[in-house]
Amino acid sequence: MGYIGDKDKEYLKGEFDKYLKEKVLLLVFTGPNCQYCNVATAIAQEVAELHDAIEFHEYPVDSEEAKKYGVEHAPTVVITDGDKFGGRIRYVGLPSGYEFSSMIEDIIDVSRRTAEVSEEVRAQLEQIDKPVRIQVFVTPTCPYCPRAVRTAHRFAILNENITGEMIEAIEFPEWANKWNVMSVPHIVINEDVQFIGAYPDEQYIQYVIEAWKKAQ
Amino acid sequence: MEVGFVLPSASRESREVDVVIIGAGPAGLSAGIYAIRAGLSAIIVDKGNAGGLAEEAPFVENYLGFEGIKGEELAKLFKEHAMKYVEISERNEVRDIVREGDRFLVKAEKGEYRAKAIIFATGTTHRKLNVPGENELFGKGVSYCVTCDGYFFRGKKVAVIGGGNSGAIAAIYLKDIGVEPVVIEYMPKYMCEKAYVDIINEKGIEYITNAMVTEIKGSDKVEAVVYKDRDTGETKEIKVDGVFIYVGLIPMSDLAKKIGVETDKRGYIKVSPKMRTNVPMVYAAGDVTGVAGQIIIAAGQGAMAALTAYEDLMLRQA
Ligand SMILES: Cc1cc2nc3c(=O)[nH]c(=O)nc-3n(C[C@H](O)[C@H](O)[C@H](O)COP(=O)(O)OP(=O)(O)OC[C@H]3O[C@@H](n4cnc5c(N)ncnc54)[C@H](O)[C@@H]3O)c2cc1C
Repeated sequence: MGYIGDKDKEYLKGEFDKYLKEKVLLLVFTGPNCQYCNVATAIAQEVAELHDAIEFHEYPVDSEEAKKYGVEHAPTVVITDGDKFGGRIRYVGLPSGYEFSSMIEDIIDVSRRTAEVSEEVRAQLEQIDKPVRIQVFVTPTCPYCPRAVRTAHRFAILNENITGEMIEAIEFPEWANKWNVMSVPHIVINEDVQFIGAYPDEQYIQYVIEAWKKAQ
Repeated sequence: MEVGFVLPSASRESREVDVVIIGAGPAGLSAGIYAIRAGLSAIIVDKGNAGGLAEEAPFVENYLGFEGIKGEELAKLFKEHAMKYVEISERNEVRDIVREGDRFLVKAEKGEYRAKAIIFATGTTHRKLNVPGENELFGKGVSYCVTCDGYFFRGKKVAVIGGGNSGAIAAIYLKDIGVEPVVIEYMPKYMCEKAYVDIINEKGIEYITNAMVTEIKGSDKVEAVVYKDRDTGETKEIKVDGVFIYVGLIPMSDLAKKIGVETDKRGYIKVSPKMRTNVPMVYAAGDVTGVAGQIIIAAGQGAMAALTAYEDLMLRQA
C-alpha cells in the first residue's frame, strides 16, 4: 500500500517521461522523534520508483551527508544534481498537500538543470554574488504557497548563491514563532527582509535584491 | 495529518488555439472540458493553482453528488477530470491581451497564446474591510484565508468579520479545528443560508448582528477588534488573537475591461444568458459575472460559455 494513488502515479510517469533529462537525486534526511520522517521517506521512494532518472537516498540528519548538504532538520527533502545545486533546493517538513506539486516541478527543473524566468528577472538574479537564503513558511492547506516556494526554488536553480527553503510551519512551530508567522506564505530572506503573500517574480526579486544589498 | 497530493500541470509552450480560458477555477475547468469535447482546441491558464477559490472552501455541502467534501478535494477532482481533456498551465499569470485582426494575443508569464476566442473565468479576490489596523496587522493576525492560516490560532479566540456564507463556513471550520470564533455581521440578521445558521447554533458559535467593525487593534499583533453596536450606538471591544475577513469579493475584470468588455458598476462582467459579453468572441463565466458565488453555478456557466463559443466559431466558419 502506497501513499500515491495508481492514477496519480500513471500521470506522474507520463510527465517524467516527457520532461526528465539528467539524473536527479531525491534525498531525505531523517532523525529520531520525527513524526513525519517515515512518510517523507515513503513518498520520496514512491516518486523515485516512477523514473530511472530519479535516485532516492535516505540519510540520518546527523550524518556527513547532512553536513555536506547543509541540512539540520528532519525530515528535510533535498532535490539536487549532487553537485552545483548542493542542498539549496529543499523542503523542511513534509512536502504534502499543495507542496507535493512543487516538489514534482522541482524534480523536473533540476533534471532539466534550468528554470523559467523572464529575461528581466534573469538579469537581476545574475547580480547576486553573495549567499542569500530564502525561507518560505507554508501550511499544506494553503493554495497560494506553492507559488512562493517555487519562486524561491527557481531562483536557487538559476543562481548558485541562492538557497530556497520551504518550512512547514505547523511541523516546526517554534521556528514559525520566531518570525511571528501567522499568515502564509511568509517569506524571510537572510533572516532579515520579510514579506507575506504570493507575489509575481518581478516583485519577489526586489525583496531578494534588498536582502542581498543589505548583506554587502 | 492527512497526506494529500495535488498534481502539477505546467505547460510551458506558446501556441495557437481556438479558445484561451483565463482562470482554472470551477468555471474555467468546466469550460475546458466542454470546449475540447465540442471539438475546439483550448488551453486554460491560471496564475495560481487549478481549482481557484474552491480550494479555499473548507467544506462544501451543496455541490450535486457530494453530501460533503473539502473544497481542496473537490478542486482536485475537478482538476484531474479537466486534465484528461485539456491542457492547464498553472502559475502562469495572464498579463495582457492585445487584438491582432480577428485574433487575440494573450500574453502570459510563461508564454503567448493566439486565440479566436477568450473565456474570462477569472473569478474574484477578497475585498478589504478598510478599517484602521487592517493593513498594518496583515500577517500579524489579520488574514483572508482560514484554510491557509486557521491552524496558527488553535486554542485562541478570533473574530470572523462578515457573516455571509463564506464567513459562516470559515467560522464553522475554525471551530472544528479548535479555534474559538466569533462572527461579526453588519446587518441586523443572519446573512448566511439556514443550513449554516443551524450549524452555527448547534456548535454554539457566537454570531453578533447589527455590528459595524471600526478598528482592529494591536501593536505587534492583533489584540482586539472594535465595533459599533448599530442598535445602541455603543462602541464595544472584543479581545481576539486573530481576525479573518470575509466581507465580500472584488471581480477580477481589469483585463477584460482593457479589451472593451462592459462591466456593471461593481466591476462584474455583463453577460447574456449564453455567457456572451458585448465584445464578439469574448465570453465570461463564474464568479466574475457576479451571479451567485457558488461552485455549481460557476461550473454551469463555464459549460455554457464553451458551448456558445463553439456555436459562434462554427457559425462563423460556415
Ligand atoms: C471560505 C469560502 C467558502 C466557500 N464555500 C463554498 C461552498 O460551500 N459551496 C460553493 O458552491 N461555493 C463556495 N465558495 C465559493 C466558490 O469557491 C466560488 O464560487 C467558486 O470558486 C467560483 O469559481 P470561478 O471559477 O468562477 O472563480 P475562482 O474559483 O475564483 O477561479 C478564478 C481563477 O482565475 C485565476 N485568475 C484570475 N486572474 C487571472 C489572470 N490574470 N491570469 C491567470 N489566472 C487568473 C485565479 O487564479 C483563479 O484560480 C466558497 C468560497 C470561500 C472563500
